[in-house]
Amino acid sequence: MSVKIVGRRPVVQIVLLVTVIAGVLFAAGLFDGAFAQAGPFGAPRSQAPAQPVGGVLGWIFAKQAEFYRQFSSLLRAAKADGSAAWSLFGLSFLYGIFHAAGPGHGKAVISSYIVANNETWTRGVVLSFASALLQALVAVAVVGLVAALLNATAATMGRAVNVIEIVSYSLIIVIGVRLLWVKGRAFLALLHTLHRPAAVGAAVTPRGHDHAHHDHAHHGHAHNDHDHGHDHDHHHHGEGHAHHHHAHDEEEASAWGHAHAPEPEELAGPGGWKRGLSAIVAVGLRPCSGAILVLVFALAQGLFWAGVASTFVMGIGTAITVALIASIAVGARAWAQQLADARSGYGMLAMRGVEVGAAVVIIAFGALLLTGYMVTERMVGI
Amino acid sequence: MICRFFFCAAAAFAGLVVATATAQAHPHIWVTVKSELVYAPDGTVTGVRHAWTFDDMFSVFATQGIESKKKGEFTREELAPLAEVNVTSLKEYDFFTYAKANGKKIEFNEPLADYYLDFNPKDTVLTLYFTLPLKTPVKAKDLTLEVYDREFFVDFSFAEKDPVKLVGAPAHCKLSIGRPQEMNAALTQQLSQLPADQRDPSLTIGAEYANKIAVKCP
Repeated sequence: MSVKIVGRRPVVQIVLLVTVIAGVLFAAGLFDGAFAQAGPFGAPRSQAPAQPVGGVLGWIFAKQAEFYRQFSSLLRAAKADGSAAWSLFGLSFLYGIFHAAGPGHGKAVISSYIVANNETWTRGVVLSFASALLQALVAVAVVGLVAALLNATAATMGRAVNVIEIVSYSLIIVIGVRLLWVKGRAFLALLHTLHRPAAVGAAVTPRGHDHAHHDHAHHGHAHNDHDHGHDHDHHHHGEGHAHHHHAHDEEEASAWGHAHAPEPEELAGPGGWKRGLSAIVAVGLRPCSGAILVLVFALAQGLFWAGVASTFVMGIGTAITVALIASIAVGARAWAQQLADARSGYGMLAMRGVEVGAAVVIIAFGALLLTGYMVTERMVGI
Repeated sequence: MICRFFFCAAAAFAGLVVATATAQAHPHIWVTVKSELVYAPDGTVTGVRHAWTFDDMFSVFATQGIESKKKGEFTREELAPLAEVNVTSLKEYDFFTYAKANGKKIEFNEPLADYYLDFNPKDTVLTLYFTLPLKTPVKAKDLTLEVYDREFFVDFSFAEKDPVKLVGAPAHCKLSIGRPQEMNAALTQQLSQLPADQRDPSLTIGAEYANKIAVKCP
């Protein structure tokens, strides 16, 4: 790498980044339009019949519907014969697994959150389980309160869910904006230092970060003692330097000389649980329509307990799938990090760019959900 | 090099997001459709009369909290507010009913005021009856009517028995019904006559002919 091209390259990359992010959103939009969305807020509805979905998605799709259709008969059967409840729970578990592979914003938001925030695998799994179980809890609470206690109508329940949705989607936007704020600054700061290599040494002082800068290869390093669960190998560069890179995110926001950056403890590491909680609440707040239907039906059969148990079993199934997808996100992020480490300065810039992109995706999700352009699951209001 | 790396990383992330974001909902409501095509004495089609029976889970959900004199049973009057909500909200979805006369899309007016909901206490299922009048009655050699939800939140299917009736239609009119994954001679013939600019029907045959009624009055 030569110093001369330094001024040009970031521009190329930013253009690429913007293009890719725009591409992702566009692709997501296309798929939405083609498959499930259009939305109840007057968005144009194509006259074309729904396209059959083949492959794995189609199969998942068919399975879910198949499982779901058996709930009512199994609940009826459980009324007469208690042992049928076991089949109900088994089915609920399978339904949960398949259902999470289908609709819902949970996985997308959690995965983006993990990528943006550089969460560990453990935290990814805990996030998945906590949000899925919260989702079950909210469904039980809504039906328990509105239907069982108040004996209100389905319409009232729909309105309650609607309020919960607005809160949930707003929270998603807030989380995304916050991430964008932190990551965007980190990205710009890194870009800045890469543009003006001489300033790097001076910029990096706080928190005992160890930094090495080379004129020939622009290694942007920030090293600290936090253990993020990511242990990256030493990379041997042509110059014969061995560098130890840790995957840390917010730390760099402060490491690059921003006095007003949030405290690292607040953002990652042990203190990050508080922040993780906001993601759990944002994603887990919205109950699944399917669970609500099952609960109301169970209530009508005088088997509310079976509905509650079924909802929680569904939640566990959902959590397993979401955790699996979250694990892929963690793995993808670690893999990208490894590539980034091999590229030193610009690799890190790219990672910051990916994080910014993930934050943008979270905001986009929240905004699309909130404005009703994207409906992950229409509330049963017909 | 850098660009390639960057592209890889971005592509991986993009793939992940697309994979998680685009998965779709499965139906939560199942509707069994019975329809009648209503003809005027002069042979024009004036509208469609629908009778949609919902699945038991949704029916129980929809009737939750509705007061009734007799437990577990609902009269038309008791269900009137729910029927109104149903019909009103259906407007947003074009009543899931799409019709073409001689290959051209035709429009429906709002449903007539005579709509109502019926509750069958034995099967605990609701049936919604409503009539969709055509904006302008048409005389059609070729009429098609489809009932579907393109978002597939509602799964519509024609009833096994007598799914469609022609009311007052000229005697020479012939009715054929297409069901998903089912082809009959009439449809095969229709397919062979598809104009070349339409997408390959062999790929989308299930959806294209899901719940499609075709009436030919040569």
